[in-house]
Amino acid sequence: MPTAVELHNVTRVYKMGDEILKALDGINLAIKPGEFVAITGPSGSGKSTLANIIGGLDVANSGSVMVDGLDLAAAHDKELSRYRNHTIGFVFQSFNLQPTATALENVMMPLVLGRLPRGQRRARAEACLKAVGLGERMKHKPTELSGGQRQRVAIARALANQPSIIIADEPTGNLDSERGKEIMALLHDLNKQGITLIIITHDQEIAKMADRILYIKDGRMTERRG
Amino acid sequence: MGLLDLILTALRNLRRQKLRSALTIFAVVIGATSVTIMLALVTGAKDFFFKQFSANGTLQQIAISSQTDLSKFDDGNNGGNNCDSCIKLTDALAAKVAAVPHVTGVARRLGAGAFEAITYGGQKLRLNQIEGYDANGILSNTLLAGRDISATDQDGVITVTSDYADKWGFKGKYGDLVGKSVDLTSRTWYQGVGFTPATPAPPQPGQNNQQQPQQQPTVLKATIVGVTDGGDHGETVRAPLSWVIAMNEQQMYQMTDADRKLNEAEQQAACRNHGPGPCNPPATQHYTLVVTNFVDQNGYSAFTAKVDDPVHAAAATAAIKRLGVGAADAQSLIQSQLRIFNIISYVLGGIGAISLAVAAIGVINTMVMAILERTREIGVLRACGATRATIRRLFTIEAGLLGFLGGVIGVSCGYGLTIVANIIINRQLTGQSIKASNIIGLPLWLIAAVVGTTTVIGMLAGLYPAFRAARLNPVEALRYE
Repeated sequence: MPTAVELHNVTRVYKMGDEILKALDGINLAIKPGEFVAITGPSGSGKSTLANIIGGLDVANSGSVMVDGLDLAAAHDKELSRYRNHTIGFVFQSFNLQPTATALENVMMPLVLGRLPRGQRRARAEACLKAVGLGERMKHKPTELSGGQRQRVAIARALANQPSIIIADEPTGNLDSERGKEIMALLHDLNKQGITLIIITHDQEIAKMADRILYIKDGRMTERRG
Repeated sequence: MGLLDLILTALRNLRRQKLRSALTIFAVVIGATSVTIMLALVTGAKDFFFKQFSANGTLQQIAISSQTDLSKFDDGNNGGNNCDSCIKLTDALAAKVAAVPHVTGVARRLGAGAFEAITYGGQKLRLNQIEGYDANGILSNTLLAGRDISATDQDGVITVTSDYADKWGFKGKYGDLVGKSVDLTSRTWYQGVGFTPATPAPPQPGQNNQQQPQQQPTVLKATIVGVTDGGDHGETVRAPLSWVIAMNEQQMYQMTDADRKLNEAEQQAACRNHGPGPCNPPATQHYTLVVTNFVDQNGYSAFTAKVDDPVHAAAATAAIKRLGVGAADAQSLIQSQLRIFNIISYVLGGIGAISLAVAAIGVINTMVMAILERTREIGVLRACGATRATIRRLFTIEAGLLGFLGGVIGVSCGYGLTIVANIIINRQLTGQSIKASNIIGLPLWLIAAVVGTTTVIGMLAGLYPAFRAARLNPVEALRYE
């Protein structure tokens, strides 16, 4: 069954010296399997923190984050890591590819971490690269690829372990509008195939493509239908 | 992440920073090379001496000398000792040593230093001394031809070492030398067996009547019964102990009390029939040939005792020391032989330890730098599902690989240097006519120990950076510029 995400009264607090910064303040949220959710809001509003908590990179101070019966707020490092490896695929604004490794090696990385048997890794990574339209560029290093192609490699890497959720933080932020549209089309396509898609964006055009738009300001969330 | 993947990833990461990795490894290489050579040298030398000594039974032998200070091993070639505080090595003492538990026998040793040349077929060669010892099987020599000195041998029988035979042209046909007669030429002051002392001349006016006329060297005839291997101890002539004792004799005409009385009586008898006036009879002088022996005065040069089993050598040595003499078993002999190797190894060991310490700091530095450079990458790895433990292992293994590679290259360099060292040592030993080749070995355990140690040092040095890497907050790591 595809994953549903449920947040109850989630609070995330950062201490900056004596000052206490409430990045998230009592967030309640339910995301249905296969949903396309856009998170928007001004810089420093807490939208990345929300995405990171859903993705298991950050941990809430209070409240619960339930995914597939696992409470991420109370999970151990090993459980969170396994969750990130198997359930989540991250796509970053700056691609975050390994510059000295080929596209194929970059995509194989989560498979290595997930201990997929050696013999299956290559085939899986190749399939992912073909799925994002880079079947001809597997042996290229990121420096030999354009921005759009690099983000495709990053998406292929996110897809490698067949996640049920993709979290993309400003995936088009470093791309020109044409490439941005292509990447969004690719992500949207994946969403249509059943993957839950959570996108953090400033771009209203992109937000409008989502089923739901979550607007965050000063750690509090308001919601409107896309 | 499996171990193989961790190692492969770590290797790839090291390759990314070739120069830095190479420099860090280089420091490890210096340390590993020094340590390898040190260990190879010491173990090789110990092995060599041990083998040599166990082969010729030396491990069962105890060297006994009258000197209680055995800081210098006395192998019995230094002649009788003149030492007031020393205990004389007498026959009675030999019996006491033989009675010590586990001692199966004692060989008395004596040198005759009064001979300076050995001549065969007109070819005169330098002679240091003639060695004698009890032919009871405790001391033995490697025979190349003929036989060794036996217990029943009397005067006029010797064995010579092969280097003499070589110089006389018998190289490769030592058997031909057996049965040949040689001349042993003494120094002029020799008064032992074979020397015919001149009857003292009547005293000349104004001359000390003890003064002996200038002597001629004595020449002793000897038959060669065997040729022994000069490899261990060259330029040596061995003779039956009884003959060597006789060579230490001192034959001298002395005026004894009886002679003095006889002289006086003869003088009085000559004067009895003399008329008034001063009586100056012809100086009739009676002398007696007195034979004394250095051995009685100074004892033997040394004893060699034999124990039933090498394991009892130390206990027997201690027991013999309680008799008041100096005693040393082969262990202390090996130790004294190893001294030069030990000094070299301490120097190399010091260099090795210091460079390994510096190398460890280098590894820490390299890894801390790597973590700073790869902070974002660590964030990506964590986002893709790497646990803290995986990150820690990855960096620990990376540091361990620096140590491992340094160790492997260091051992290889050390191996190359041992080959060079062996060539030099072989040449040196051949020069001293010691048969030995490739003393310094590189046993497998040594290779494993050195590589293992450098790997562990690398991993230990990598622990702190690895913990730091593992503790990184993934969110902050991803944001790191």
